[in-house]
Amino acid sequence: MIELTNVGYTYPHTVQPALHRITLSLEKGRCVMVTGPSGAGKTSLCLAASGILHHEYGGKKEGLVAIDGKDVNEYCSLSDLAQNVGVVFDDAEAQMIFTTVEEEILSALEHRGLSAAVIEERLSGIMKTTYIEELKDRSPHNLSGGQKQRVALAATLALGNDILILDEPTSELDEHATRRIAGILKDLKDQGKTILLIEHKFGQFREMVDALVVMEHGMITAQGIPDDVLKDDRLRAMVLPDFSKVKKNLHTAVTSEPVITVQNLTHNYGKIEALSGISLTIRKGEFVAIVGENGSGKTTLVKHFNRLLSPTTGDVIVHGRNTRDCSIVSLACYVGLVFQNPDHMFFADTVREEIAYGVKNLGIDDSDAVIDAALRDAGLEESADLYPRWLSRGERQRLGIACVVAMQPSVIVLDEPTTGLDGNEALLVINILKKLQEKGHTVIIITHNREIAEHCADRIIMMEGGKILSDTGGA
Amino acid sequence: MAEILQYVHKDAFLHRLHPYTKIAFIIVMSIMCIMATNLVFLTLMVLALLVLAAYSRLLVELLQQLKLILVMSVIFILITIITMPNGDILGYVIPQGVPFIGGFIPLTTGGVMIGLVLTLRFMILIFAFQLFLISTQPRDLVHAMEKMGLPIDYILMFIIALRFIPTLQIEGQRIHEAQLARGFNPGTGFVGKIRSVAPIAIPLVSNALLRSNVLGLTIDMRGYRNGKRTHVRERVLAYRDYAFMGVLVVASCGFVVLLLVHLI
Repeated sequence: MIELTNVGYTYPHTVQPALHRITLSLEKGRCVMVTGPSGAGKTSLCLAASGILHHEYGGKKEGLVAIDGKDVNEYCSLSDLAQNVGVVFDDAEAQMIFTTVEEEILSALEHRGLSAAVIEERLSGIMKTTYIEELKDRSPHNLSGGQKQRVALAATLALGNDILILDEPTSELDEHATRRIAGILKDLKDQGKTILLIEHKFGQFREMVDALVVMEHGMITAQGIPDDVLKDDRLRAMVLPDFSKVKKNLHTAVTSEPVITVQNLTHNYGKIEALSGISLTIRKGEFVAIVGENGSGKTTLVKHFNRLLSPTTGDVIVHGRNTRDCSIVSLACYVGLVFQNPDHMFFADTVREEIAYGVKNLGIDDSDAVIDAALRDAGLEESADLYPRWLSRGERQRLGIACVVAMQPSVIVLDEPTTGLDGNEALLVINILKKLQEKGHTVIIITHNREIAEHCADRIIMMEGGKILSDTGGA
Repeated sequence: MAEILQYVHKDAFLHRLHPYTKIAFIIVMSIMCIMATNLVFLTLMVLALLVLAAYSRLLVELLQQLKLILVMSVIFILITIITMPNGDILGYVIPQGVPFIGGFIPLTTGGVMIGLVLTLRFMILIFAFQLFLISTQPRDLVHAMEKMGLPIDYILMFIIALRFIPTLQIEGQRIHEAQLARGFNPGTGFVGKIRSVAPIAIPLVSNALLRSNVLGLTIDMRGYRNGKRTHVRERVLAYRDYAFMGVLVVASCGFVVLLLVHLI
């Protein structure tokens, strides 16, 4: 269905090719999963395989891409290509143009030259396959990440193409939502669809993947039946990371002083109770993982630690001071918060300036030494003078951490620090966090990844519906 | 969070009207409120809009804009008092008793009147457009505008601009929080204010530009611009549309008569 032969591509104004001698064949009814570190050229491959690269992008192109046996250059436009290929991009929100879910899918169906009766039939069929019937009248910004991904997938399915290309459809989703997407894709494959999937979570899609492709530095470094590819130890570490070797802190922290104490905390968003009756104590030097599904209140809880949110009732005590009496800026010296999407904070021209921003805000002495140390800790010394947004996702994540670490807070809170990273990159982040813990910092992570929680954290707090379900540390 | 100019899914009077009827409605309302200078007439128009909103179960959504309108009206009245002194002097913005600067900026009936008229016009325009946008599904809007001969690219631009308002609001909020966590201090004074914009505005714009790339590809890959379209669940002009347009025609005629006899 899709044939790439010796495909090379260099983006305009760059020297390094994004794709180099890619040869890949996607046969009818099969599912090929492409994985690899961030910045390896996976998204470029996605664009090349769908023909978008040849039609919409400038730059230097080599090799042949054929879709359904026809050279992509012979297709006259994107609309023409769209008759054969459906693409789901990684940013689900940007793929929603209308204001209700049903409208979105209906609008996609209307442009296929079908009769009205067929459209109605397909509409209900697709809503059923993707489990979005109950969301029919909801607007995009009121949907969760998993729901948005399902709608984006549904709107692409509406095109009725046999080839589906998906670029990291589950990167921001928790385990439950990922399983749901995996289930839907499995059904689609059984219906005879051909699927090219860019993913990091091989484990969740294992059943349906016929061939695994590993990309690094714009090249395919391995491809074949998953079991064969995974015989290589190096590739295995990348695809199925093993966090069990991360050493745990042996000396337990129970006796040391508390740094954050939460007493009977409740938080309401309007009439919705997001947190109810939370009490816990986090002690100096602990490595805590907060787990739970999307919407269980994890992010709401940690936003109380630096007073981005104030308690509706109850108290949060940080370093002996009630957060109600502190300003956000004064708390920033004690509690650093790294948000899920690092792109929400980058605005400076270089990596170094980006880190310097927080340091200057807090008026820390000897800022150069502090910034150098943060760069070293995050393994970004060589990127110090680059533009932050040019870095790969993994590097941007580490920069996000460096920005906060440089402010020298005793507690570092990270919301989903391994989102969108491959195994090696995730391990790199975890090792950075472990080192910070050894230096005496308290580390709190929110994570969907159960393995990371089990192998890396000294204590796991499980949340559900705004309450703490279990806490291995005991308060 | 208040959702600005977003379609609200309901099944009520305005929702059932054809987009054409609603477009005619906002045109008539706009012309009337711009031409009329009579305070009583403009107040009646506001009341009529509120009644229509209540009948269409959209009053709560409409009144969310009240804060904005109040702020704007204060600004309007202040400007007209300062720039258009006319008629009897009611008093002074700075009381005459204050030494040296007292007795300046007279509060005149003319100035206040013009301020009130501007406020009411502003209110009518906001309410009318708000009612139109929150009761019309973007899909219907696209179809209506397409039939009116507008180019599809411009229509999509308009729809997308509206659709992404809440997304940008949410994103702006997240960026603000991320910067606060890094000790972001909204500056004081004019220079400080300008400087404090960069940490919020740069990520917001950069992310929006990235997003627009995906958005553009999506539009093409879904074939929204290919021109061919099957007509499904098309809205047709119904009895209630004709009735409503009849009311609009009668109101317009009445308005012209009132204008001619200089009553408004």
